[in-house]
Amino acid sequence: MSRIRQIRAIAFKELIDYIRDWRTLLAIVLVPLLLFPILFVALPLLLQAEYVERQEFDLQVVIQTNDDVESLKPFLFDTDMELNWEVVPEGLANLSDSALEDERIGSGQAHSVLRLQKNIENGTIWNYAIIYDSTDERSNEAKRRLLEAVFSWEGEQVNTTLVQAGLDPESTLDPVRWDGDSQVADVATTGQQAGFALSLFIPLIVATWTATAAMQPAIDMTAGERERGTLEALLCAPITRMELLVGKWIAVATIAAVGVLIQVIGLFLAIAMIAGGSSVLGMPSIGAAALILMFASILLFAVMIVAFQLALAVRSHSVKEAGTVLGPIILLIIIPALFAQLINLEGIEYWWFIIPVVNILIALRELLTDTVVVEHVLLWAGSSLLYALLAAWYASKQFNREDLVESIN
Amino acid sequence: MSEILLTISDVSKQFSHIEALKSVNLTLNRGEIVGLVGGNGAGKTTLLRLMCGLYHPTDGQVLFHGDSGPSPVAEMRRFLGVVPESTGLYYRLTAWENIRYHSRLHGISDEECWKNTLEIARDLDFVDSLGRPTRGFSKGMRQKAALIRALAHKPEILLLDEPTSGLDVTSARMVRALVKQMGQAGGTVIYSTHKLAEAEQVCDRIIIIHNGEVRADGSPGELLELTQTTSLEDAYVKLTLDAARETEKDDDEGKIARLWRRMMTPRKLPEGGEEDE
Repeated sequence: MSRIRQIRAIAFKELIDYIRDWRTLLAIVLVPLLLFPILFVALPLLLQAEYVERQEFDLQVVIQTNDDVESLKPFLFDTDMELNWEVVPEGLANLSDSALEDERIGSGQAHSVLRLQKNIENGTIWNYAIIYDSTDERSNEAKRRLLEAVFSWEGEQVNTTLVQAGLDPESTLDPVRWDGDSQVADVATTGQQAGFALSLFIPLIVATWTATAAMQPAIDMTAGERERGTLEALLCAPITRMELLVGKWIAVATIAAVGVLIQVIGLFLAIAMIAGGSSVLGMPSIGAAALILMFASILLFAVMIVAFQLALAVRSHSVKEAGTVLGPIILLIIIPALFAQLINLEGIEYWWFIIPVVNILIALRELLTDTVVVEHVLLWAGSSLLYALLAAWYASKQFNREDLVESIN
Repeated sequence: MSEILLTISDVSKQFSHIEALKSVNLTLNRGEIVGLVGGNGAGKTTLLRLMCGLYHPTDGQVLFHGDSGPSPVAEMRRFLGVVPESTGLYYRLTAWENIRYHSRLHGISDEECWKNTLEIARDLDFVDSLGRPTRGFSKGMRQKAALIRALAHKPEILLLDEPTSGLDVTSARMVRALVKQMGQAGGTVIYSTHKLAEAEQVCDRIIIIHNGEVRADGSPGELLELTQTTSLEDAYVKLTLDAARETEKDDDEGKIARLWRRMMTPRKLPEGGEEDE
């Protein structure tokens, strides 16, 4: 009876205490909610704006050639750059020899130099090179526009040659073509496609955000209590250490779950904003069994991570000490999480499903594509349950330490 | 005949290489206000924590005598009210929320807790502060809030660890008056302090602890008689003539951490100072 009430009282108090800090809202709600919209929407907008800005650059280029390039000129005029014509300098090892142009490009007198000359051995081939500075944005933009002009001119040259030879350029250059819409040929449903696309994001988010979102509250509710001297009074109450652990676990897991949920919502919001009804970036179609198993896998993962973090944090005498211990632990989650994204699911070996952290991430990837393989489920569920129990046992051992009542204050 | 509430039988407590308490035998009766007096590191806090069931004795046992007979005190914490030296208030919660939280853990309903809280808060002139977050509280206000929290579930025994430490004269007097009032109403209090005069003012019985041993246990008059002195201060000095022990405790520090700390800590003091350790 009162055992559950006491655990509920602990969890409720921890949540209230934690939520009253406005920085919590920032860390748990605002950051995860805005992360993906910022990455998916604001970043492309920024890139677009930067692209437009680059197109408005006033650029000066030098065209060095000793031959007639009348047919190239219209393409160069289209680049909207100031063109200065020169002959190709003598004594170059080859056209890419940049030695003579260092100073001119470095000082900004010219942003790029296009050198162009007919091949001495074969008069139908042109050799060219563009001298530029890869660390200068204007020089890079000038090079891009010059390349665009050269490729367009090359295309025209090819077409002219083919026509002169009595060939149809279209059928000669593109003799094998896809018929119809390639997306319609995909037998996967739009929901399956969406599940596959999301399986590249969701597991990584769940793993990393569960660990990072749980870290701060885990420290605050354990090492923070020790540091502030509130733990001694709490331990004098008629509750067992296990009840205390469970109450705190519920609070930390709730905060982490809310954080993960908000981040996933943020991800879907971002997808909705950029996809505009795209079939690939939409809602995945996942069966009830896969959905239940997904929640079970996340729950097991959370039990393990939160218990482990609480155990490590409660050993520390101060928030600073706990942060020093738990900070690097996050890497133990992130590194296998990144590896797990690269593993081929087709014909995957069974042993992957018993490696801590990796097993849950692979399971999530598989389940997001609505694939339920019984052997896989048994392996990840069994091993994760074992790890969760081990973490809970370790946490209960740490919570039973006699020195918990001691505070650095 | 006095009713026994707590017995401490042959209790010792060892922390790594330090024997914090040595074969302590005590009995606490209902209605007594008992002062635990000793210097820093004498073993007062260790004894209090054993009485709360926070520490387990290395030897011996601490038993609470309830209606169902004697039981280990760790299982009977619902009958205790504790105010640790740090007060242990959550600064983002109001005073009332702090009190209510602990009462919920003691299985007391919010209504009953509020009734008891109001009663005690009126005595301590604290009603107006109940709804305020404890973040801005002075030491005296924190002590009052912690006292109400410890009493709101109507404990059988109140354990106070240095309750007037850091308080101004008025607040300290108010706390002492409340403890006395509790004693007059039949309450049982264990009052740990290093101030002898305070113990003399408040307590019916004084236990002097030194270097982990109980050196004397009795009323102020009995202590004077025992030591053949005319003041409690003289009695205390006579009972604690041997030098106080060094009580630095670092047994929870790992071996690697300790080794690293020692390597990174200069052992030499500036000229004129003595070499450390």
